[in-house]
Amino acid sequence: MIMENKSVKILSAKQISIQNPLAEEWMDNPLSYTEDYVRAVDPDFRQFISAGDARRMGKLLKRALATSLSALHEGGIEDPDAIITGTGFGSIENTELFLDALVREGEQLLKPTQFMQSTHNTASSLIGIHTKCHGYNSTYSQKGFSFDSALYDAWMQFRLGRIRSALVGSHDEMSPVFSGFVRKAGHVKEGEICSEAAVSVLMTECGDNAYCTLDGVKLLDTPSEVTLKQVLADMTAGGINAVMTGMSGNAENDSWYGFLNTMLSGVPQLRYKPLFGVNFSSSAIGFYAAACCLRKGCVPAVLSASGKDIDCRKGILVVNVVEGRHYSFSLLKSVCGK
Amino acid sequence: MQEKSVLITGCGIVSAIGLDCGQVLDSLLKVRTGVGTLRYLKTGHTEFPVGEVKLSDEEMQRMMGIASDTPSTRTALMGMIALHEALGQAGLNRDDLKECGFVNGTTVGGMDKSEQYYLDFIENDSRNAYISTHDCGSCSEMIADRFGRFKMITTISTACSSAANAIEMAADMIRLGEADIVVAGGSECITKFHLNGFNSLMILDHNQCRPFDAGRAGLNLGEGAAFVVLEEAGHAAARGAKALARLSGYGNACDAFHQTASSPDGEGAYIAMSKALKEAGLKPSDIDYVNAHGTGTPNNDESESQAMKRLFGQYMPPVSSTKSMTGHTTSASGAIETVICILAIRNGFIPVNYAFEHPMENGIVPNMDLNRGCKLRHVLCNSFGFGGNDSSLVLSAVE
Repeated sequence: MIMENKSVKILSAKQISIQNPLAEEWMDNPLSYTEDYVRAVDPDFRQFISAGDARRMGKLLKRALATSLSALHEGGIEDPDAIITGTGFGSIENTELFLDALVREGEQLLKPTQFMQSTHNTASSLIGIHTKCHGYNSTYSQKGFSFDSALYDAWMQFRLGRIRSALVGSHDEMSPVFSGFVRKAGHVKEGEICSEAAVSVLMTECGDNAYCTLDGVKLLDTPSEVTLKQVLADMTAGGINAVMTGMSGNAENDSWYGFLNTMLSGVPQLRYKPLFGVNFSSSAIGFYAAACCLRKGCVPAVLSASGKDIDCRKGILVVNVVEGRHYSFSLLKSVCGK
Repeated sequence: MQEKSVLITGCGIVSAIGLDCGQVLDSLLKVRTGVGTLRYLKTGHTEFPVGEVKLSDEEMQRMMGIASDTPSTRTALMGMIALHEALGQAGLNRDDLKECGFVNGTTVGGMDKSEQYYLDFIENDSRNAYISTHDCGSCSEMIADRFGRFKMITTISTACSSAANAIEMAADMIRLGEADIVVAGGSECITKFHLNGFNSLMILDHNQCRPFDAGRAGLNLGEGAAFVVLEEAGHAAARGAKALARLSGYGNACDAFHQTASSPDGEGAYIAMSKALKEAGLKPSDIDYVNAHGTGTPNNDESESQAMKRLFGQYMPPVSSTKSMTGHTTSASGAIETVICILAIRNGFIPVNYAFEHPMENGIVPNMDLNRGCKLRHVLCNSFGFGGNDSSLVLSAVE
């Protein structure tokens, strides 16, 4: 049974990033950094993982498990129908260790654990194993568009009537060596903090105390102006309070969002990258931040260009543009007053 | 909203047993393995037989008209060759792609160049262009951009079921009317990185692999790419596109057992196959052939046998693993084997499980007879990955 107009509840959303973990302290008292490469602030993992298991896991896996379990716990669901994950690089630290040993020491004595963790789907599988979920399980790896792809898939599974709940996340870690590589490749630009992020979002068909609802997801490659106008018109028809953008302060990156000035003129533009830095899972942070704002009914000053709080009791459109070509739009709507 | 029917209107394939559909068909009918002595990959592990695509990177660049100094990865080059054939067969040109989706499956991405230039990445700026080609997403972009801009692009990375899941996602998009045409598949070259990784897990056979054989001792790595053009039935009819097969059902499940081993009872595989049959509205006895995941590792073939026995019971159809000829093409395998299933349906034969001799205890006995002239109505194609990412597709004949 295919649903034309669908609305899915966001029951919980959790992050580990360069802001304080598994909490929303950043809304009022954000941590600020002067360095251009910052690693995530980790929580105490012992509440989620045994010490023995933790020793075998890289940072990405531990964070993925911690955000997932805490999102499931808050939402009161143990076994979601689908686990869908994004990651741009996967467990890059173990990948690097294996690659480094291969290149410097040759093809002997390589460690299977490092190889196994280098495979991008390890996080999604680990969550499946840990929660004993035999349902739909998939992993997307499309640079800074990975979370958006995972979200789009989840959105489709709901509309197809295949699932009633989904844990959607995106996780990227960053080693010192690869932080140099991503600068060279331009994945992280001048003026942007190279960072890490792990985000898990629990979505369900029904449930109380939702942060907000998800009412549409659209992915496009190199859209025409006509297409962009149409998508924005469709998605903002019910009214929105703000648009969450991936603007970072870098001129080239921010120019990709220029269409919002003309096509959504007058709608306040929000930015999360100055607070959370930039990595392949950044857009998941944008989505998480928008959900938190809608839960509160207010966008905190730290996200707004005007430096003032913005009332948000209608909705926020989350827009992500990667390399000026991949566009994603997700519409989050307030449940205030409902 | 009406459920839409998903047809396949184009196929392209590059593998150790041929560089296009015609060559692959010829090898399947002659039961010719593409697994042999390592020739193109620069590694010390020459003791392992592999299913390499019999072309150097330079030869592939020439085939695609790409200047030799253009940064290209082997995974992307193989993907371009396969996509070129698929788009040609479906009669799609550059302008048409603006309305089509593109979903690629890969895990290795540009690792072939990263392992070659890793020290340069650290020490100097001479190979920076290859940092940008390292990740999975850039690989999909390189493949797609050669032919134009699609409506949307994404990449699935669920290890050895990546391409099967890409095909599933593409079909979901068509069912929901998100696009009328979505091109999906996967590409993966052999790298030192994962040859050594599989070796560290001790699952590579030192001889020609023997899926479902009592003496099987592991897999042979293969490489290649394949893409299929998935198209909504009404759209295909309106533009006069010829349907090669129908994707009538598919299922994705998680074994939720172990990161690199399958459960003894093949729970994930069983659920994936059951979901695919249910969605296709078929009974186990409707399936005329199973293209098994059949890697040749003791663990996979045991687990997959149990899952198939549980599903099919007394109606066990002919089963074979074509990895015995292509090698295990990892992330590309779901698409490569989908194309092989379509070739089997259209040409009326059942692929043979090359190198099988002795039945394993409690295992299935694979198909060893081509059955030329047989009629395959519905075929099941299995792809299982590390982490228990299990997927299964049902491909059906079109009248």
